Amino acid sequence: MTRILLANIDKPEQASIVKYRERGGYKALEKALAMDQAAVIEEVKASGLRGRGGAGFPTGMKWSFVPRNTGKPTYLLCNADESEPGTFKDRILMERDPHMMIEGMAIASYALNCHLAYIYIRGEYEFVANMVQKALDEAYEAKMLGPSVMGKDFALDIFVHLGQGAYICGEETSLIESLEGDRGYPRIKPPFPATHGFLASPTVVNNVETLCALPWIIQNGAAAYAAIGTEKSKGTKLFSVSGHVSKPGVYEVDLGYPLVDFINNEAGGVPNGRKLKAVIPGGSSVPVMTAAECPGVLLDYESLLKAGSMLGSGGMIVLDETTSMPETLSVIADFYAHESCGQCTPCREGTGWAAKILKNIVAGKGKRSDVDLLLKIADMMEGKTICPLADADVMPIRSFVTKFRSEFEALCGDN
Amino acid sequence: MPKFTLNGQEVEAKPGQTIIQAAADHGMEIPHYCYHPDLPIDGNCRMCLVEVEKMPKLTPACTTLVNDGMVVRSENERVKEAVRGVLEFLLINHPVDCPVCDQAGECRLQDYYMVYGLHTSEIPLGMKVRKRKVIDLGPMVVLDQERCVLCSRCIRFFEYVTETGEMQFFGRGDHVAIGTFEDRPLDNPYSGNVVDICPVGALTSRDFRFKCRVWFLHATDSVCGGCSTGCTVRIDHRDGTIFRLLPRRNVEVNRSWLCDEGRLSFHKLSDGERITRPLVKGRDGVQAPVTWEEAARSIDSRLKEIRDTNGAASILGFASPSATNEALFLFKRYLDGLGATQFDFRLDSEDKKLADEEDQILRHFDKHPNSMGAIKLGLMSEQVGGIEGAINAARAGRLKAGVVIYFKPLVERPGDAEAEGRVLALLDELEYSVLLTSHKADWQDSASVVLPVAAWSEEEGTYTNFEGRVQLAGKAIEVEGNALPVWEVFAMLLHASGAESPWMSAEDVFATMADSVSVFSGITLDQTRLPGVVVG
Repeated sequence: MTRILLANIDKPEQASIVKYRERGGYKALEKALAMDQAAVIEEVKASGLRGRGGAGFPTGMKWSFVPRNTGKPTYLLCNADESEPGTFKDRILMERDPHMMIEGMAIASYALNCHLAYIYIRGEYEFVANMVQKALDEAYEAKMLGPSVMGKDFALDIFVHLGQGAYICGEETSLIESLEGDRGYPRIKPPFPATHGFLASPTVVNNVETLCALPWIIQNGAAAYAAIGTEKSKGTKLFSVSGHVSKPGVYEVDLGYPLVDFINNEAGGVPNGRKLKAVIPGGSSVPVMTAAECPGVLLDYESLLKAGSMLGSGGMIVLDETTSMPETLSVIADFYAHESCGQCTPCREGTGWAAKILKNIVAGKGKRSDVDLLLKIADMMEGKTICPLADADVMPIRSFVTKFRSEFEALCGDN
Repeated sequence: MPKFTLNGQEVEAKPGQTIIQAAADHGMEIPHYCYHPDLPIDGNCRMCLVEVEKMPKLTPACTTLVNDGMVVRSENERVKEAVRGVLEFLLINHPVDCPVCDQAGECRLQDYYMVYGLHTSEIPLGMKVRKRKVIDLGPMVVLDQERCVLCSRCIRFFEYVTETGEMQFFGRGDHVAIGTFEDRPLDNPYSGNVVDICPVGALTSRDFRFKCRVWFLHATDSVCGGCSTGCTVRIDHRDGTIFRLLPRRNVEVNRSWLCDEGRLSFHKLSDGERITRPLVKGRDGVQAPVTWEEAARSIDSRLKEIRDTNGAASILGFASPSATNEALFLFKRYLDGLGATQFDFRLDSEDKKLADEEDQILRHFDKHPNSMGAIKLGLMSEQVGGIEGAINAARAGRLKAGVVIYFKPLVERPGDAEAEGRVLALLDELEYSVLLTSHKADWQDSASVVLPVAAWSEEEGTYTNFEGRVQLAGKAIEVEGNALPVWEVFAMLLHASGAESPWMSAEDVFATMADSVSVFSGITLDQTRLPGVVVG
């Protein structure tokens, strides 16, 4: 399997710019700077790279929506607000190989004609932010950033911004609001950030992992990247696996890798001879899959969607037979209730209500009618909100309740 | 002009309009909480979700721009179900304390529940989120966080209208609450507006709360008498008592707003005793009550006597910039009939301050509603030179008699007492003085005749604001005792003087005024209703 993102992750002192350059770092940036800006965008389009933050939107296409010559600056924002439960892939990239992200940002900035970029890092990653800042300082010193990037007529400044601990700020428009100094509330779209983003200017928000794939794509060519993966899901993807597996951690696999093989071969299988019960393949917001649904499913955008779930952020949570599904859902629902920003009605009221009902059920105080009420609340929330946070609560609620209904009803007893 | 289909009906929209605005223009209300025509759009309440063909999800009517050929449905089952859901969400944590809530009767939660809800609550009481209640937010506003639907209208009002930003959201998820930083009072001259725009009972008026259930109130369209801006208002009253003043939306004047001074200005009317009968000073120098007929006869004959002895230039007409156009018109007509030439109305220097607004929102420096009307009717003259000029002329013996209209300003400001003192000085200097006023005061003993007249809200009439906009104010309450509207007093005096006096109502006077005063020529009373008409 190709290793693109994690190729050097375990090599000593990879975080230092010296070692990074020794291992071929910043060559891709040099190459990109010699190219036409439009050609870089075309290259990324041709690679088939899709956003790795969760939505999977084609990166090159996102870039091409950015209008040119608006008289306003264009901004690149690196979304490092990794907050989806089960997801810890960006962290390892920033900790172990931060220059790859910086190089990727520099390539993207060049392509977008952006001279000011920000890395928005989640508040809990303060130590990561310090590491990234150290790498940025090195990059400035080595003239990879600053008024003349690698001696070329291209200026780029990158700043680190530490969030204050709100999940919602991973949503791109809230991230922008937060970066502007306002309350982290998602904006109504349209207008989209591509035209009216940070400071009402054209803005691209890309995930850390997405940006980290850019140096390899430029260095090895779009065709080489597109040769990896499936027809519509190109390249490699990081999966951060947690839960009931022998070897939890971050793994890089070609898109299209079989799910069951991944759990058994890469993640070391379910330990203690227990049986697999369910898998949440892409972070807590995607629909849960029962063990029976897993065979034959491939780890790519299309296959997982067909199987009724989503690739999401690649935050895989594996659950074995000892797991109580109502308890698991209650934890997930609590998270979304806690993280709902409270701006729009269905999410603000629905996530909190659902979480309370689940708490009651888990405590044995639920009624049988509560199970249907959960589904009703899911219907009332779905697709009616400003941002997808409510839907991120709806998907686990609906999938857990419908696929494991008897467990919920058993807890409700005769009440 | 984009055309679109709304519930099967072809409707035209103005360019740049959203669905909710275009629908409203055609008299169709799409349910909403956060949308307000005079605030920036926020789209947070999700009550206005509608179905637009070719859009997979329901979309908020407040944020979606009308496109040509768009097909919108706001009343089908899918939309109704969504709206019902949003309403249910808004009510799960709401205390449903309508019996003790001041908003009851004009609450959007109640109204929409009757249309879209009618569901049984599925949340046990103990599960509701509790928030803080009865928080004092300054002189005008009381906050109940539990009743709030978090529509952010109040927050946006302070952010975009007054640009002072006192209110904000605090907390997250279903614990979000509105408030001010550390409960600081809303020390803002426009704070009362947030009570009006709050669609529920979260923000209630400190002045009005618990005074009267709103369904017992009668509404009369009027114009604020507090300053020269002439905000379009509604007087809510019952049994001869005014309970509150609310802005009526007038995009040409005050949009949906009213300043706090204006809002509370009606209290000034019940401050102090009223004069209930005409009083005429006898030979003993003591004012004694007489009938209106006696008063009119005595005034007319006395003024004519002075005119015949000292000449018409010795008679002063001193008007009030708080009186209606109709009052001022007949006042001038009567004195013109006597041949009088000396007119003014300036108690201090309103003329100089006319162009000088106190702030950029609504409050005008000139605290009289009709200074411009007085000017347009020719009641300002450099020859007299305001009240000080009149006092000097009287002292010098050039002025012998005066007919003076005086109303205490409904919005107080420093200098009011001095202005009143100047009226007294004028009365003292004049040999014969007729004072038309509404409220009793010690200094009125100086007047030869005191005539009780109707104050603001007690008579119908028009006012001309600082930009020359003429607006109609209706009669909300009955005047006390035998007091009469000013125009009626002069109609009576005209009759007493033998002139024609055919007017039966302020409307009749207005018609004559429009016929005979060029500034007002051609305008009809209907034009003075919302949004009013600007005269040259």
